[in-house]
Amino acid sequence: MSPEPVQTRIFEEEILSVSDVSLSFGGVKAIQNVSFDIKRGEIRAIIGPNGAGKTSMLNVINGFYHPQEGLIRFKGKARRRMRPSIAAAQGIARTFQNVALFKGMSTLDNIMTGRLPRLEKGIFGEIVNVFLQAAYLGPARRSELEQRKYVEEIIDFLEIQHIRRTPVGRLPYGLQKRVELGRALAMEPELLLLDEPMAGMNLEEKEDMSRFIIDVNDQYGTTIALIEHDISVVMDLSDRIIVLDYGRKIADGTPGEVQSNQAVMDAYLGVPHE
Amino acid sequence: MFYREAGQFKTTYKSDQALFPIAQDRYFVIGVVLFAFLVIPFFITDYWANALLLPFLIYALAAIGLNILTGYCGQLSLGTGGFLAVGAYASYKLMTSFPEMNLIVVFLLSGLITALVGIFFGVPSLRIKGFYLAVATLASQFFIVWLFNKVPWFFNYSATGQISVPPREIFGFLVTGPDASPAITYLFTLTLVSIFALLAKNMARGNVGRSWMAIRDMDIAAEIIGIRPLKTKLIAFAVSSFYIGIAGALLFAVWLGSAEPTEAFGIDQSFLILFMIIIGGLGSILGSFMGAAFMVLMPIFLKNFMVDGLGLQPAFSEHVQIMLMGVLIIFFLIVEPHGLARLWQIAKEKLRIWPFPY
Repeated sequence: MSPEPVQTRIFEEEILSVSDVSLSFGGVKAIQNVSFDIKRGEIRAIIGPNGAGKTSMLNVINGFYHPQEGLIRFKGKARRRMRPSIAAAQGIARTFQNVALFKGMSTLDNIMTGRLPRLEKGIFGEIVNVFLQAAYLGPARRSELEQRKYVEEIIDFLEIQHIRRTPVGRLPYGLQKRVELGRALAMEPELLLLDEPMAGMNLEEKEDMSRFIIDVNDQYGTTIALIEHDISVVMDLSDRIIVLDYGRKIADGTPGEVQSNQAVMDAYLGVPHE
Repeated sequence: MFYREAGQFKTTYKSDQALFPIAQDRYFVIGVVLFAFLVIPFFITDYWANALLLPFLIYALAAIGLNILTGYCGQLSLGTGGFLAVGAYASYKLMTSFPEMNLIVVFLLSGLITALVGIFFGVPSLRIKGFYLAVATLASQFFIVWLFNKVPWFFNYSATGQISVPPREIFGFLVTGPDASPAITYLFTLTLVSIFALLAKNMARGNVGRSWMAIRDMDIAAEIIGIRPLKTKLIAFAVSSFYIGIAGALLFAVWLGSAEPTEAFGIDQSFLILFMIIIGGLGSILGSFMGAAFMVLMPIFLKNFMVDGLGLQPAFSEHVQIMLMGVLIIFFLIVEPHGLARLWQIAKEKLRIWPFPY
């Protein structure tokens, strides 16, 4: 797409490393011996044909699926059993392939839910919190206002001030995707997983979303792993790309390297039968 | 024209997060509360208290409780009658075992005991959803009523199997028992209900409420973004049962005076309160009041209208009233499936721009 070679950014520190991860559901092998790493600050894309195991990979990183084999290190710490709430507390946020907003709530409230995992307390703390919330006293009121302030910054950043009070069910698709990004950002993630952030968007919405992704990466310094089917978007946005096919990694490298990889072309276009 | 927020600017998040950000709403609510506290007690009669206001307030409290669980957290429950019974029997046991205990403490403890029972019956909600959960909570309904019928310790071995409230005072005013004055029982109930309604509203609009609604709207997404489903659901069960328990204690100690589990806390009660929140509006505190008003006051209004207004036979009008209630429920659900509270909200949105269409 871009005629002149884009300047490659260099990243040193590893934020996430996945080694030899395998995941299967009964007889279906969704992911087989996949290893890769994500460096702090980069935009890493995961691409591949349908059913390649991309979303499963995000679910593994996010702690929703538990791989049968393999090791995942996040910020240098190896982990065994995981729960999404732990991953969220460690700084992993995500968006979903099909918009998964809370339809009955306003934009503001939806983004505010993104702050919830940040406020996790122990059982005792939770009980105290319920009472404080009920009375809307002291710490509860203060934390409510602090969160509102943080969320308002995200609302400004994503340019969705006008729909602050609108129930998200009434919003057009493109805006819903943006609100979902806002909810993920509210978690102050270090690693942001985006599952097809541009699926079903028109060109203008795609351009907006690309701009927001670059801005998030740039301004907040957030590491981003994204799944996307629009190859031109992927080539433009990402620093490095992983290509999955049938649960295996078939390529890993800069956009230029991946583009010229024969295995990738075969996976996408098919292998000619002689 | 009069209901318009033009000119009311908010310059801080604090004022924007206020309970009633729109001035007209604020004045209206303050007016209603003042009227309820300062005017009604002077005119209240036995009939008004026992037939209308007490049941309305007590059912409104129970409806808030169920609304927290079903309307906000999305967990369908048919165990309300059972939880009412737990609250009632807890207050009875506390009052008879510790005659010196302050009545407020009795009511709060009854609520807490019911909350514990609610948590216990809420544990299956992690695995069971929707109608199946409703059936699981139905088990609690039948089990609790059976327990209070069969174990004599709960009704202090009384020959009839009934429980009757001993007379108790608070600040020198008799609140429970047959000699309590209607103004005092009304004020006591009103105070508790207003405070707990305010607390419920605060929970619902804060972080706790947001986590409930997240679980309600899409539990898997809520879990993946890091909200813990079990914890959130159990908090909802606990808070909801706490409210229902206090309502049960009020129902028995302040309103009925004596109770027998199968009749006062049967499955009918569970359905009645569920209908209240469906008609009033799921996920709305105001809706709980509206639903309770509709289900409690409407039959009485219809009966009075038919017997006194149209001169029909009481027995005949009884049947017509049941049919009319059914028709009205269907009518309101067709007009607005999201309940009376939503209807009220639409009316307010229309009022804002009146007399212009948009």
